[in-house]
Amino acid sequence: MELLKLPERPNWRDRARDLGFNFADMYGEPYWDEGHVWRFTMGQIEGCIEDPCTELHALCREAVGRIIGSEALMVRMGLPRAQWDFIADSWARAEPELYGRFDLAFDGTGPAKLLEYNADTPTSLYESSAFQWLWLEDQIKAGVLPEAADQFNGIHEALVERFAAICAPGQDLHFAAMKDSPEDYGTVETLGWAAREAGLGAHYTDLQSIGLTADGQFADSEDRVIGALFKLYPWEDLFADDFAQYLASSGCRFIEPPWKALLSNKAILPMLWQMFPDHPNLLPAYFVGEEGAGLEHGHVEKPIFSREGAGIRIVQNGAVIEASDVADYDAHPRIRQAYHPLPQFEGWRPVLGAWMVGEACVGLGVRSDRSRITQNLSRFQPHVILD
Amino acid sequence: MKRSGHVALAILGAAAFGLAGCQETATDAASFPDLDSCLKAATQDGWFTADDCRTTFAEAELLHDETAPRYDSAALCEEQHGEGNCQPDASAGPAGGGGGSIFMPLMMGYLLGSALSGGRPVAQPVFGRAGGGYSTPAGTGISRLGASGKVPTEAFAKAPVTKGQPAMTRATVAQRGGFGTTGAGRSTSTGG
Repeated sequence: MELLKLPERPNWRDRARDLGFNFADMYGEPYWDEGHVWRFTMGQIEGCIEDPCTELHALCREAVGRIIGSEALMVRMGLPRAQWDFIADSWARAEPELYGRFDLAFDGTGPAKLLEYNADTPTSLYESSAFQWLWLEDQIKAGVLPEAADQFNGIHEALVERFAAICAPGQDLHFAAMKDSPEDYGTVETLGWAAREAGLGAHYTDLQSIGLTADGQFADSEDRVIGALFKLYPWEDLFADDFAQYLASSGCRFIEPPWKALLSNKAILPMLWQMFPDHPNLLPAYFVGEEGAGLEHGHVEKPIFSREGAGIRIVQNGAVIEASDVADYDAHPRIRQAYHPLPQFEGWRPVLGAWMVGEACVGLGVRSDRSRITQNLSRFQPHVILD
Repeated sequence: MKRSGHVALAILGAAAFGLAGCQETATDAASFPDLDSCLKAATQDGWFTADDCRTTFAEAELLHDETAPRYDSAALCEEQHGEGNCQPDASAGPAGGGGGSIFMPLMMGYLLGSALSGGRPVAQPVFGRAGGGYSTPAGTGISRLGASGKVPTEAFAKAPVTKGQPAMTRATVAQRGGFGTTGAGRSTSTGG
């Protein structure tokens, strides 16, 4: 694993604009950064990322089954009791998962360590599956990279296959995201394209425009009943919204299924550590107040629900050495995870986003930051496999 | 190779979902008033075979039953679909709670479309339109049965189910805005 400096494609901003990738710059900072490129060997990709993540997902499924079977464990997940049956039923019915993203710390040598699992609403899908792919094709054509250069990126094809496998032919699927978030919309439309390619009917609606019919079903902005809904909106937030009481009785099928609320939840980290202690890809993790071995060199304290690094504090020798300044999540219960510093490559600290589709790991996207906590100002830097 | 052979590259903005099918792909289509006329037109090496005629006709009949518009009076139905072009909804028995009968247009033929991605052909039922011509449940118009040509693939997306619903094509929305308030209070994107 190394950080390469490669010439940017002279026209990449035009390409981004033409394709509608309008969040290549965000908050006045560059987000897409193809001047820095992560190089992996095939052995690193397959042995350190692909296979371990497929295994981690299997462990997560095992943990879900255990938590759902235990009231004592369900209590720890911080989800409203009124939704427990809804969650458990979706697991009992074996409602299939669509996608997710493991965030990993990896320096090219030791085992990759799981930082957290974005199992419910992972974004950065467009830049991972499409724009990164185009970058590689362009750079091979331009002779910047050799013909043999490859990328761990079967995301699009895997999504098409997955949609075809988990939906009926021609089934209508609604896609909802929060209004006015181009980043979220990019992820939702990437999924919509895959659904269409799988022969499904894909329809978009703003999440806020969803209505409740007289029969208690959900309907889109044009009053059409929603039979199946992909929502790029966290389960724990849906559970707190006014329409939460209608979720179970609406007859709507949700993607991700409700049981994913247990995985996109940092309470899963201590659960996993308890079930699979000393697993090479896991870091020691505990609920606050129940700390055990492995936190001696410092810990990261995280609210059980948070996105984009929000609400995280890094503590070493009893002192806070870095904290994110977004306090939106401070009301949630917290966990502590052993502090595993991200490796540094010329000041860049990469977090590897390993994409899961169904139960398999199918691709990689790398976001890097100059600070210790990867937040939504980090940069997306493409990767290449070159042996 | 560890990467996809192709990917979908464009983000089109908020209108993309409605338009993508139409803009991106048109598919071969042919309409028939009945199964027999489809069978006569089918060829072994064409894009549909006699077997495709039979399976898609059965599918179209099923879709008609599930998704054809419903009306609460014969007069209203005929107003939309032409005189003599309506029938009572057999699935909504007189004991069906709501009291009055439900009416729906007669299936007058079907629209056959070539497969979207290498699968077998797909079909939609068609019924009469007041003022002439025909329509699928989702609203794709056809001027005459027996014609063939290109149709957006979107025309073969299934229309919302109307069977068992109150007699109107769309649901009555009682309230909106019950989702999104929790996430909207935050300063960052909802994804992660």
